[in-house]
Amino acid sequence: MILFKNRILKIVSGVKNFYTYIVSIIISFKSIKHLRFRSILTTAINQTKFTGIDAMPLVASIAILIGGTVIIQATQNFPKFGIEGFIGNLLVLIIARELGPLITAIIVITRSGSAIAAEIATQKQHKEIMSLELMGIDTKLYIVFPRILASIFSIFSLIIIFDIVGFFGGYLLSMTTVYIPLDNFMMTVMEAFSFEDLIITLVKSIIYGILIPLISCYYGFMPNAYFEIPIDVSRAVIRTVWIIFVINALISAIFYF
Amino acid sequence: MEETFLLKIENVSCESEKGDSLKNISFSVKKGESIAIFGPEDSGIEIICPLVAGLISEYTGNVYYKGLSVKSFDYLETHKYRKELGYLQRDYGLISNMSVHENISLPLKYHSKLSSKEIEVIVNWMIENFGMLHCKDKRPVGLSRSEKLRTAFLRAIVLDPELILLEHSLEGQCLFSSRIFLASIKQDLISRTISAIFTGYDPRLYMDLASEYIMLHKGNIVFNGTREEFESMDNPYLRQYFNSLIDSPV
Repeated sequence: MILFKNRILKIVSGVKNFYTYIVSIIISFKSIKHLRFRSILTTAINQTKFTGIDAMPLVASIAILIGGTVIIQATQNFPKFGIEGFIGNLLVLIIARELGPLITAIIVITRSGSAIAAEIATQKQHKEIMSLELMGIDTKLYIVFPRILASIFSIFSLIIIFDIVGFFGGYLLSMTTVYIPLDNFMMTVMEAFSFEDLIITLVKSIIYGILIPLISCYYGFMPNAYFEIPIDVSRAVIRTVWIIFVINALISAIFYF
Repeated sequence: MEETFLLKIENVSCESEKGDSLKNISFSVKKGESIAIFGPEDSGIEIICPLVAGLISEYTGNVYYKGLSVKSFDYLETHKYRKELGYLQRDYGLISNMSVHENISLPLKYHSKLSSKEIEVIVNWMIENFGMLHCKDKRPVGLSRSEKLRTAFLRAIVLDPELILLEHSLEGQCLFSSRIFLASIKQDLISRTISAIFTGYDPRLYMDLASEYIMLHKGNIVFNGTREEFESMDNPYLRQYFNSLIDSPV
């Protein structure tokens, strides 16, 4: 009972701390008019390169494998139910609407979220964050803002890449086991894909792009000693993944229910 | 009254998380004046620079900068105030993924309206003047301790502060590097009329620069005097501190 109570108290205090952090981020936007974009440009470019460009091969290879698996399963099982004409719909449903954004977010969290948390935590221990504060630099804005911008842009691009590679790479991979005429495949996919899907992808990119760096930075600012860095980096990854699953379910419920 | 002082610490008492404390201390710094604050471990000298920079908010008494209470500064004013200070941290706090040039130009890029080209010219001139051209593109990990010190100093003065805080800045430096560094910053401090507060364990290093000396012991000021008074060593605390005597007031 005491353990349970302590756990609840810990969660409440964690939520309180996160709330304080969010408030401090909002307050930091007061100084956005004093922020010169050139000072955050390098951080934004480096973050975009790391989160977006460098993650492309991993995202593309996973997209091919997922796309291929979905198409193989669909072509093998749909005829049994007489719904083989709905393969395109299934791809859009599974890959474009759900797996694309979700897997992309998980890749970004594990690659970039962990790196952001570790980088900030190390900078904090080396007193680099304090030195920024002492230069009159708004650290919340200087550190978090460019990473949010880079993440939104990178995640949106990666989801689009995931979808395209998932569709066509999956199609090519599936050719090793089943044959579907390309024009048929293209037609069903194009018919199933709507403008709404693109909007929802954009919405998810923005929400994930804000949440991933925000939570990662929060855990990056957290450690008070070197030995706490791995603990907080691990927390950053696990909790962001969990939150993204919840958010993904909520978005799907709101838009498609 | 306060306007004549650049910085005035008035009856300040506070305690840091680590247990260091200040007990009702007062001192002031005039424009262009440099003071050295020293004392043994746990004497409270560790709190002085963070207190002046507004990093400590829980204290009684007042810290005035140009007649304005630092405590009364709001969010934006605190950032503006820190921009006006130069702060040389104990561990230098250089940004590890930035080169020497990028570290020095960061405050200018963030705060100034100068064009990138103008910033480049200013920073290059400073680097050359300080004999750092050979390591301009190196990151902190590739620098010697004296190069880190010089980079941090240049970064601290790049925005032309009126007051610079040097917190244990010569700790871990070889005597030769310390002397060269102090000789080279002397000109900068004088020509730009920058006031300075040096904190550290050995104030004798700053003999050429500081005009006033303050010794702290257990959070209290136990000596406050001019260079001449300091050199005369009439104070029992000073005598014990510099002669490393065990049976004395400290």
